[in-house]
Formats: sequence, structure tokens, C-alpha cells
Amino acid sequence: MSEQKVTLQVTGMTCAACSARIEKVVSKMDGVETANVNLTMARATVTFDENKLQAGDIIQRIVRLGFGASELAEEGTDNASEKLWRRQVALFIFSAVLSLPFLIGMFEMFGATLLPDFLMNPWVMLAMATPVQFVAGYSFYVGGYKALRNKSANMDVLVALGTSAAYFYSLWLILRGEEHVYFETSMIIITLILLGKIFEQLAKTRTSDAIKKLMHMQAKTARVVRGGVELEVKIEEVVLGDVVVVRPGEKIPVDGSVLDGQSSIDESMLTGESIPIDKKPGDPVYGATLNKNGALSFRAEKVGQDTALAQIIRVVEEAQGSKAPIQRMSDVISGIFVPIVVGIAVLTFVVWYFLVDGGLQDALTIALMNATAVLVIACPCALGLATPTSIMVGTGKGAENGILFKGGEHLENLQKVSVILLDKTGTITKGQPTVTDVVLLSDQFHSEQDLLLLAASAEKRSEHPLATAIVKAGASLGEVQDPEEFEAITGRGVRAVAQGRKLLIGTRRLMQEAGIDYAAATEGLARLESDGKTVMILSVDGQVSGLLAVADTVKESSQAAIAELKGMGLKVVMITGDNHKTAQAIAAQVGVDEVLAEVLPEEKADAVKRYKSAGQRVAMVGDGINDAPALAMADVGIAVGTGADVAIEAADVTLMGAELEGVARAVRLSKATIRNIRQNLFWALAYNVVGIPIAAAGLLSPWVAGAAMAFSSVSVVINALRLKRVNIDA
Amino acid sequence: MTSFTFDVQGMSCGHCKSAVESALKEAGATAVDVDLEAGRVAVTYDADKYDLNKMRDAIEDAGYDVA
Repeated sequence: MSEQKVTLQVTGMTCAACSARIEKVVSKMDGVETANVNLTMARATVTFDENKLQAGDIIQRIVRLGFGASELAEEGTDNASEKLWRRQVALFIFSAVLSLPFLIGMFEMFGATLLPDFLMNPWVMLAMATPVQFVAGYSFYVGGYKALRNKSANMDVLVALGTSAAYFYSLWLILRGEEHVYFETSMIIITLILLGKIFEQLAKTRTSDAIKKLMHMQAKTARVVRGGVELEVKIEEVVLGDVVVVRPGEKIPVDGSVLDGQSSIDESMLTGESIPIDKKPGDPVYGATLNKNGALSFRAEKVGQDTALAQIIRVVEEAQGSKAPIQRMSDVISGIFVPIVVGIAVLTFVVWYFLVDGGLQDALTIALMNATAVLVIACPCALGLATPTSIMVGTGKGAENGILFKGGEHLENLQKVSVILLDKTGTITKGQPTVTDVVLLSDQFHSEQDLLLLAASAEKRSEHPLATAIVKAGASLGEVQDPEEFEAITGRGVRAVAQGRKLLIGTRRLMQEAGIDYAAATEGLARLESDGKTVMILSVDGQVSGLLAVADTVKESSQAAIAELKGMGLKVVMITGDNHKTAQAIAAQVGVDEVLAEVLPEEKADAVKRYKSAGQRVAMVGDGINDAPALAMADVGIAVGTGADVAIEAADVTLMGAELEGVARAVRLSKATIRNIRQNLFWALAYNVVGIPIAAAGLLSPWVAGAAMAFSSVSVVINALRLKRVNIDA
Repeated sequence: MTSFTFDVQGMSCGHCKSAVESALKEAGATAVDVDLEAGRVAVTYDADKYDLNKMRDAIEDAGYDVA
């Protein structure tokens, strides 16, 4: 079989469902190996078997789905959206050049004579207005026709109707031999609205920066070791299991785990966390992060579409194209708005023609001009932009800060939340037990450090999480030697010989069974256990020598983050499977409002349900794996990832950083975005609401109405861009 | 004339709507009504000439899932 790869330029995709559909249909084709469709880049990458089909067949299939597709000759040059953009600009210039004389001509109203007389000849004007009306204005007719066929009405209908009224009325005047015509009205409206669209497009390309930034973060090449030789390959050519070498200052090309070397890595592009993370053999590394100071080699474990970065890009893409419930409001408004406006325009015409100027010679002109102004000022064109642009900027800003919203609806729902349930382990706490106390009970040892190091040797071969904590604590003090003998006693502890001494580490029961008197330890045991810690007794050569207390410790930032959430008026509840004592000890440290302890994993969803049925809107924050049912039950499920398994599937919102501060930032971003959308809806409608009565009263000339409409779209997009600069940190 | 309503998954924009409409019309439907929000597609067709499977195939060929 001979495999062939082709990259296609796909046009006409407007949402994530479009790209998903093409991907699905093409991958089902006989002979197609893989198909990847990228909505933002408007591209499809397909690998297929040349013996079974050709690139042309794939193109045909895509075209049959209703999209345009063509082979991309050279990477990055001359793509379809650029062509479309150039066409837009060309049409505007064409239209502007033809209209310019008449814009200047308007100054003649103030007495100046600026134009040669022949331009004022109605037939010359007709010759210039006709191409503007039907070439530059063609898209309005097409758009309007399509909308009407779908039994809806949009701005294109209004523009087409308004400008046609002015054009055909003038044509009728010419044919009757009249001197004064109104072609300039339709020409200038069309030119201004095209200009508005250009501004809009310029601003829009800036709103989708986030994805482009994400894509450009990826390394282009990787250095892999194959057959003992280091070679530089393209990033697409890295395969699973490759050993990848990274030097200081270089980007990590794909996801994997460290084999050799030590370094700190800046993961801020994925997690928003600005402090570099130390990596040693066994630790995970992620593509697009920056290796700071040491050389590393690692095994590639996720490549291509499976890397964390690729997943993030996919989620952000889909979220940016998704609808927030608030969008429904603008859909409803624009659905009823246009018919109402047409009604008002007709009424305006009737009133002016029959009542106000009844019988006057140019009554028809005045009535028609005023009705046209109503039609044009009323375009709810900015309304369609109001919500999507803000959602796009909001989700993009989230992604840059390590907050992934899975869809626009979650961005909207989060700001409505009144209760936040925080899972304790891994969310408020680090999720890994650490040694918190070492108590010396005999004078066999000089210091707690000696005791800890000896205990660490004894535990070195154990897999138990408590042992891991002790070994880790020991390793931070000095070298942990291997034990000479080792035996794990399930549920009780370990027996070992290390540095020539006989050691027992474990529970009271372990001591009882070995016949060791631990009376000296009783008081310490009780004290540490009442703090919610797990305490182990250590005996050396048959004599009780000390205590080791281990507990899951609170993350440094948890207390501040919980205080912030409370400051926003949210009720913060901690939920945990731990016993009441331990739970209370942690709760007191971080200051939550309520504690739910001894909750089994499967009961967590019930707890969420209880708050919901009490009329609260609940956000559940967990580490995504065992909390999945509760995350799904909550109004908004927030997964706190460590950048690791991006538990994206389980949650509505994923925080790439492990710190709780992310929750507060996500809530702030949600609030800022919804506020921004409301402002946009206001700006989109304000022009219309203020403008319609003025136009109906005959005080607004149609071309001013056109300018106002163009400006309303621009002000909405500019307002949405302001969201980029909102501070979500405090 | 027979009418039937499909539950269709994966439609989210105007393009999807028109794609399903034209696919069904090509398959012989006389009237198609797509409700994007609810994910429902109501089809009217001549049951003597066409059958339900053909309508379903048309939707699936266009790339959507019929529930």
C-alpha cells in the first residue's frame, strides 16, 4: 500500500459541527487512513491509500457535503479566506471610487462648486450607480434572498430594500425626464456598509488570536535518537516511543516522560502558572513548554492530535464557535426586529406621503427618503456580532490563562453560581501525603533528622503512599541507603534492618504484637491524631524511639483562593471522604463555610443534587477522575488538572494549573464576559432604537444612517476586544 | 404524504441546517423543517415512492447522526 498525504483548503465551514462532520465523513471513505479538519485554519489534512482513491475523490466528497475544497499547493500561501478578504477590499475600493464624486458633491449644498457639470447629468449618475448597486451590492441581494427563503430576515434584506428603493425611484425619475435624482444615496450607503464590514473583519481577526498563538507555540522540529544517532526531524515525524533530546532554552516538542537529566520547565503556556516546574526522571513533560536550564531526554508518549496542546486547541476552537444561551436572546430580537422595521418603514412612507406633505410636488421623494433612512438605520447587523465576538475573546483569554471553557454556555453559567463545592484531596490539598512531624522519644538519636533518615532507609523498598512520603522527606535531608533486610506487614507497617539496626515502623498493633512497650508514645500519638494526621510509631532495637506523622497538606494558595471566592459572595463548601476530625482540621486551616465529611465517592453527586434542589446554582471543583459523576451533576463542573491527563471530557471547565486560584479567575472571567456581552447588546441596539424615530421624523438622511450602522458594528467589536485587557487576577 | 420527525445530532449552525435540507430534498422529500435548537428534523415525503430508510440514509450521508 502506498500512503499519500494531502492538505486541502476547505471553505464554507462556519462552526465546529461542520469540521467534525467533514472529518467523520471523510474518515469513513474507503482507503482513507486519517482525516483531520481544522476549523480555524480552514484546512483538512488527509492521509489515504493511493491505490484505492485519489485526492480528487476526497474533494468531491467534501463538495457533496456542501463545502468548497481545493488542494493546497504550497504551505501558507494564498488561502481562500485571504482571497475573500482581498475581494472584499477590492469591492469596497471599486464602490468608493465611483461614489466619491457624489460625496464631494454633497458639499455643493453649502454653495461651493467642486465638480464638473457633466457629473451632475442624471444619465452619467445612472451609469456610475448601476455597477455599485449590482456589483458591489450583489452580496446584499444574495444574502437577503437566502434569508427570505429560510423565512427569516436579516440586515441584508434591509440594505437591499433600502438601496433598491433609492435606486429604482431615481431610475423612474430619469425616465420621466426629471433632473434631480438620488443615486448618491444608494451608492454612499453601499460604500459605507462595505467599509463597516472591512473594519469588522479587521477587528475579528484580532479576536481569534488565541488559537493562532497556541498553534505557534509548538516546536517545528524535534531531535530524536534513532539507532544511536541523534537526528533532527519534523515534529510530525516523531513517533510513539522515540527518545527525544532537548537542550536548555529549547521547546519540548511532544508529550512524554523524562528518562534522563534534570531541568526546570516553564509550563506557563499550558497552565498559566508562572513558576517553572522542576523535572527529574519519571516526570511528565508537555509539548510547547519551554525547557529552561538543563538538558533532558524523554520518551515520546503522545504525539500529533493526542498531545495536551492539541487537545487544548480543539477545546478552545469548539468553545469559540459555540453559542451561549444569551445568544438566543439576540437571535429572537433580530428575528422579530426586521419585520417590525419594515412595518415602520412602510408606515413612515404612508404618513409622509399622504399626511405630512400631502399634495406637494416632491412628496414622493421625501416619503421615500425617510422610509429608506428607517430601513438602513434599523439594520441589526451588530446584533449578530454582539455575543459571538465576546465569547470568542473570553474563551481565548481563558485559554491563555490556563482556563479551558468547553463551551460558551459554561462561560455564561459560571457567573450565576452561588455555591462552590470543593473536593478536598488534590484540590484544596496537594493530594499527596507528606511528613509533617517527627517526634524524638529517646536519646538514642542526636536529632530528628537522624531518626528520619533511618526510617527512610527502612521504608525505601515499600510502595505504600505513607512510605513514599517518608522516603521523600528523608531524601531531602541526605542520601537514603538501602535496607539490609525488609518485610512489609500488611495493614500494620514494616520490619527492616537498616544500618545494622532492627527497625519496626507502624501502628500500635505492630508494637503490641512485637511485645514492645509504647507507653512513652501515648501522649504524642493522641495529640498528633487529634490534628487529623496519620501517626506511625518507630522502634529501634526493641525500644520506642520516635513518632512520624504524615498528612495531606494544604496547597499554599488554597486559603487565599477560598477567601477570594467568599469575597465574591459565594458559599464555599469542602467535601471529602475523610473522617470528621481530619476534615475539620483542614477546614479550619483554609476557612471554608461548610464541611461535608465522610462522603463516599458515589455520594458526592447526591450532595451536589441536594444543594441544587435547595435552589442553589452549584459549581463542583474536583480533580476530574473520581469526581466525574459530581462534576457532571453540577451546574458547572470544574476539573483541576495538573496539565497531566487534561480530564477535559469529564468537566465543563478545566483548569490547567493545579492551584485553586484558577477557580476565582474563571469566575471573574465569566462575569467580565457576560458584562461585555450585555454592553454589546446595548451598543448593537442603541443606534437602532435612537435612530429609528429620528429617521421616521425625516431628520436623518439615508447616508448618515448607513454610516451609523457601519459604526455600530465597529463599536461592538471594539468593545469585545476590550475584554482582552480585563484583569482577572484580582 | 407522510410526515416523520428525526432526532438528529450534530447540527449547530445555518450551514448544517441547509445541508440537511438539501440532502433530504435530493432524496425526495417534499418539505423539510429543521429545528436547530431542538435537533429535530421534520420530513414530509410520498410514502408510495420513497421510504423512511432513504430519508435516514440521506441525513447520515450528509454526516449527521440520527438517534
